[in-house]
Amino acid sequence: MATTRTLFDQELAELKSGVVRMGSMVEQAIAESMRALVDRNNALAKEVIARDQEVNELHRLLRERAFMIMATQQPVARDLRLIVSFQHMVLELERMGDHAVGIARAALRLNDLPQLKPYIDLPKMAEITESQVHEILGAVIEADQDKARAIAERDDEVDTLYHKIWDELVGFMIQDPANVQRAAILLFLAKDLERIADRVTNIAEDVVFLHTGRIVELS
Amino acid sequence: MISIRMQTEAAPRAVQDGDAEIKLDARHVNFFYGDFQALHDAALSVRARRITALIGPSGCGKTTFLRIFNRMHDLTPGTRATGEVLLDGHNVLSSDTDVIRLRRQVGMLFQRPNPFPKSIFDNVAYGPHMLGWSKARINQVVEESLKDTGLWDEVKTRLHRSALNLSGGQQQRLCLARALAVEPQVILMDEPASALDPIATLRIEELMQDLKQRYTIVIVTHNMQQAARVSDFTAFMLMNEKRAGEVIEYGPTDDIFNRPKDSRTEDYITGRFG
Repeated sequence: MATTRTLFDQELAELKSGVVRMGSMVEQAIAESMRALVDRNNALAKEVIARDQEVNELHRLLRERAFMIMATQQPVARDLRLIVSFQHMVLELERMGDHAVGIARAALRLNDLPQLKPYIDLPKMAEITESQVHEILGAVIEADQDKARAIAERDDEVDTLYHKIWDELVGFMIQDPANVQRAAILLFLAKDLERIADRVTNIAEDVVFLHTGRIVELS
Repeated sequence: MISIRMQTEAAPRAVQDGDAEIKLDARHVNFFYGDFQALHDAALSVRARRITALIGPSGCGKTTFLRIFNRMHDLTPGTRATGEVLLDGHNVLSSDTDVIRLRRQVGMLFQRPNPFPKSIFDNVAYGPHMLGWSKARINQVVEESLKDTGLWDEVKTRLHRSALNLSGGQQQRLCLARALAVEPQVILMDEPASALDPIATLRIEELMQDLKQRYTIVIVTHNMQQAARVSDFTAFMLMNEKRAGEVIEYGPTDDIFNRPKDSRTEDYITGRFG
């Protein structure tokens, strides 16, 4: 059916591509913050921290754009769900960016200290989280709620690893007070990864809402 | 107030007035202007003391459908309606219907305010006077109807001045008061605010919310935001390939505007056509 809202459709498409672009920036920030830790690369960590300003700025622009479209186009039904979902998604992505900064800051502090232990489970946890972020962006692009639900289910794997890491690090602290500082920083870092996975679930809920109009709890 | 109730994804949604009493039940309604069929197998169950909106592009038959509910089509020569429109169980389309009584039970408000060239008082008193009510009862019903439409305080000191001196919004509320004066059960509204400014429009909409406590309202509107704002139920109509109007989707307004089931409804309400 011929559309009578070409400009509106174009605005929605631009908003969507903005969300995906923001998602890619955040995905990169998460990957690089972890690499800064594993490779003990302070320059890369600082780069992640500096680049978060770009994520924040894009977040601001996309919120403004979404607000303007709502004010001028009076969207309903799927159009309204699309804009409301995108607004929520960019908020989640912005927070994910903050978590990546948290990881980068943790890396800067840890890289100045002797390594507490070989990093095994943390990179594993990061790998799952990064792939979740990557895949949820795909689900957003395709508006695929089945895919979104499947991605949200992987949160359990992340949680399991987080609890394992927690137990291990607490063990290190009990073993020797000299470990406390590094173990505590690593705990916060693991928490950042765990929160990123939670936010992926929130975005998955937005994809389901976009599709069905129902607000669901996937966790 | 929004009350919090824990709900799992699988739990059914709250029934949205779905069990409210049916006041007006149109079934298999077909309508013809001569040989031309303007409505095809239209159905609509109008719930009592709720606002039902009919939406759809121009020519989809929504005004035609509305006018059948109180047999206004009888006034147009060469027209014919088949099917049933049950008002409290009685088919208003049957030949034994007392049409005068029907139009008292099912009042109508038109697109443009159409006050009689008489005083404000006489406009409202017209119906009761025709029904032979006592002077005291007429005085009382005029005051009540004007109060019900929020007009009393604006006109009480000039009841015997011409209604034609009122503003457009006031004239429309006067016409509503005139319809209310004969104590109807259902009020049909055909684009009641399309000739009014935004403030007068909002006054009519607020009035509708008050009136639905006592009356059943069916409104035809081109203004989809208005339908979304004021109505409890919405029916979307569209012409079929033979240019006859059909009801495509009917349900709670919340569903029609947020989660329409039919892609044609979605296309229309999102402005993709029409």
